[in-house]
Amino acid sequence: MSGSETEETKDGTRDGTADEQGPEGTAAGTATATATAGDPAADPATDPANSAAPASDSAAGPAASAELAAGERLRDRLTWQKLTVLPGVLALVLLGTWLWFRDAQLDTITRNALAGDIVLLRLRDHVQMTAISTFFVLIIAIPLGIALTRPLLRRATPVAMSFANLGQAVPSLGLLVLLVFWLNIGQNTAVIGMVVYAVLPVLANTITGLRNIDPGLTEAAKGIGMSSLGVLTKVELPLAVPLILAGVRNALVLNVGTATLATFIGGGGLGDLIASGITTQRMPVLMLGSILTVALALLVDWLASLVELVLRPRGLEGTS
Amino acid sequence: MSFWEYLGNRHVQLLADTLQHASAVLQCMVVATVLGVAVGVLTYRSEWAGDLATTAGATILTVPSLALIGLLIPLVGLGVAPTVIALVLYGLLPIVRNAIVGLRGVDPALIDAARGIGMSRVRQLVKVELPLAWPPILTGIRVSTQMLMGIAAIAAFASGPGLGNSIFRGVASLGSANALNQVLAGTLGIVVLALLFDAAYVVVGRLTTPRGIRA
Repeated sequence: MSGSETEETKDGTRDGTADEQGPEGTAAGTATATATAGDPAADPATDPANSAAPASDSAAGPAASAELAAGERLRDRLTWQKLTVLPGVLALVLLGTWLWFRDAQLDTITRNALAGDIVLLRLRDHVQMTAISTFFVLIIAIPLGIALTRPLLRRATPVAMSFANLGQAVPSLGLLVLLVFWLNIGQNTAVIGMVVYAVLPVLANTITGLRNIDPGLTEAAKGIGMSSLGVLTKVELPLAVPLILAGVRNALVLNVGTATLATFIGGGGLGDLIASGITTQRMPVLMLGSILTVALALLVDWLASLVELVLRPRGLEGTS
Repeated sequence: MSFWEYLGNRHVQLLADTLQHASAVLQCMVVATVLGVAVGVLTYRSEWAGDLATTAGATILTVPSLALIGLLIPLVGLGVAPTVIALVLYGLLPIVRNAIVGLRGVDPALIDAARGIGMSRVRQLVKVELPLAWPPILTGIRVSTQMLMGIAAIAAFASGPGLGNSIFRGVASLGSANALNQVLAGTLGIVVLALLFDAAYVVVGRLTTPRGIRA
């Protein structure tokens, strides 16, 4: 750093260009900083899921046109690979697992743990819990995010954001188990815990998406006589779609993961197989539960990424 | 027994769990940071490799932690080994991603200037590029740490160390007088640790961000 500074002062013109690029550099710096500031809220655990998606979204901010053009090409290029690679790999893994189980010599405990259609039942539980909780997360978090960015409630936005950040510090396991003391054990408690846990990141994503919209655009919309409802539905929401969709994907993946913990509070799901595999020391049960959970999580993330591509507003791609 | 009485009575055990939790997360974060920055440095120049590293990390993060730990147990057994491997793997992605974004965001003119005054490739990286990319990397470290706090709790089910054990003791004795206290102590302990780590990172950020790019 000190080296480049001495270099700058040595030469007047170099100094000028360096200065000029200085602010640009810091602008990029703050851009990543805001992106990352959104990040902790957006994805701590998520971070898990939407990882790649929000990063590219936030990057779109500073270098909008180049990034979007690249996005368009990316879309063309990715189509067939994106459609085939992941499902192909998953199909191979599941086929391999199935073949192994067909020929494997299983002892009584293992056979009991997998008896009948128990595996399918657990899988159905898992999908059901994920779907229901994601549904509630969306109908709670997105309207709430819209409400919190309206002028009337705008003062509450920072409070909501820091609350969302703070909420991320609560471990999902602790949250689920604490709910048991209040709501008793069972699947409903698990679903409620999943909703509580996933609402905050999606809310933070929605608020960030709506707040990052160029005020010039909303001003222009108002200027041509749009009502505030019109501005919201025709301008703000379409522009915030990518971030909101990233939040949805995030919520889905979070919920698939949290649903594995439902087993600890009597909620069923694929976590049952993993937990009983660990407690009875039966590796086939453990492996089957884990492989199915991983496959489900990757499949859900893949489907959500396709939806993200399809629903992204045309205006945000290709043109600058 | 009230929660405060419980804390008073069991503070030795709880303190031990808390210290184990903090040290497991801290040590895994150190490993994840070194590996993550290394992967970032090795891949950021190639669009292909950088994207591959980011995608691979994102895929790992999609995997639910209990399932990843479940897959590791047949390979490495129960206890510390699966916990450490899982924590490092999950901690990697935010750091790799932010390292790549940060390193790619460094103004090419600055690198050019560094080369112009005769800096070697390694010196450019250490003296110019990494210091400028440090703030986003540190943010990645913060995100990772917060995430690992929660995952470490789940790892206690595979006999891992830490406050998750307090939560699982409560689960195992649901209905007993101390179940709520055990779960509450474990959960609040993790929240407090997460907030303390976050505060520590703010201080670290102040101390380690090069003066020229401080906000």
